[in-house]
Amino acid sequence: MMSDDLVEPVDTALRDQGEGLADQAARAVLAYRAGETAPLAALVQVMTPLLWHTVRAQGADQEQAQDIVQNVWLTLVRDIEQIRDPRATLQWMLVTAKRAAWRTVRRSRDEQVRQTNDEHATDWLTAPAEDLPESVAVRSERDEALWNHVRVLPDRCRKLLGLVAMVERPDYAVVSRALGMPVGSIGPTRGRCLAKLRAALAADPTWSTS
Amino acid sequence: MSPDEATLSLLAGGLLDEEDRAIFASLARMVDVADPVPEGLVDRIGMALTIEALHAEVAELRLVGEPALAVRADETSIEAGTITFTTDVLTVMISVHPEAGLIRVDGWAAPAEEIEVELHQGGDMTVTTSDEDGRFSFVDVERGPARLVLRRPSDPTVPVVTPQIEL
Repeated sequence: MMSDDLVEPVDTALRDQGEGLADQAARAVLAYRAGETAPLAALVQVMTPLLWHTVRAQGADQEQAQDIVQNVWLTLVRDIEQIRDPRATLQWMLVTAKRAAWRTVRRSRDEQVRQTNDEHATDWLTAPAEDLPESVAVRSERDEALWNHVRVLPDRCRKLLGLVAMVERPDYAVVSRALGMPVGSIGPTRGRCLAKLRAALAADPTWSTS
Repeated sequence: MSPDEATLSLLAGGLLDEEDRAIFASLARMVDVADPVPEGLVDRIGMALTIEALHAEVAELRLVGEPALAVRADETSIEAGTITFTTDVLTVMISVHPEAGLIRVDGWAAPAEEIEVELHQGGDMTVTTSDEDGRFSFVDVERGPARLVLRRPSDPTVPVVTPQIEL
């Protein structure tokens, strides 16, 4: 049970709400409807990486993922007048991207000859640290320890942490919800996935002594 | 050794701290390096949205001359040599000439009028106006994927957009 002093002051929580991607997306949608396209162009810059990794986390290959991400943006623009709550734009886009990726992955799996390791359709964040592009990816022993603990987490935790890491705090809950995780699974508290990672790191001398 | 349930619950209920933020920062960086967003994707999306916003008529592509020269199988878009685009309302022909590492694009549109021609490359756009015979050209153009958007004074509400070509 959480004691009162662990709960953030309300005004802090509210202030943070206004600074994330969800808010930027809402403003871009409203601006676009008013005939101003620059905010949406800026949103494409900052949000495409999150969409990309969301789609890749579902197991879509590079080629498929590019088409899916581009289509999510085109769909947004085509349906932009129909969006009732612009503040839900980020969540809508993440869910749309995720579902499109599911459909694509399922279709291409149906087309393929059945493979033996089908349950590991996604290799997202599962590559051993030594397979990562050297020197850029893993800067230190701590990075290597972190990566190796993340990649052995349950699939849903790995996806959640990998994607939440890409956004700022106001968007944590949106990303969690879009992935089908319970509200509040990360932020303001850690939630169980991050707790598992912290526990694993605490038990790893490579991490805790450096 | 896996931590006991009480330890996990305590950790899970704790507020995010500096170490959590440091973990997210490292993780975000490693995810980006391990599986980077393909180069050019953001630009291609920007271009697609620009075209979408125009509600434009998209021209069909016709290759002129030797297709073997004009099309390269290993490219997703078309390697331009001499290309013709047609719609019901406009025909555009362009030819591409290398010039000192860059290229020059010469074009001609019919029926002839003074048409505003935009060359879109990634997020960048260059505009020129054709002469009264419908001739136009762009000099010092970078190689890469591109589209033309043509606006006719006789019907300014319906611009004509070419498919993406590889210059």
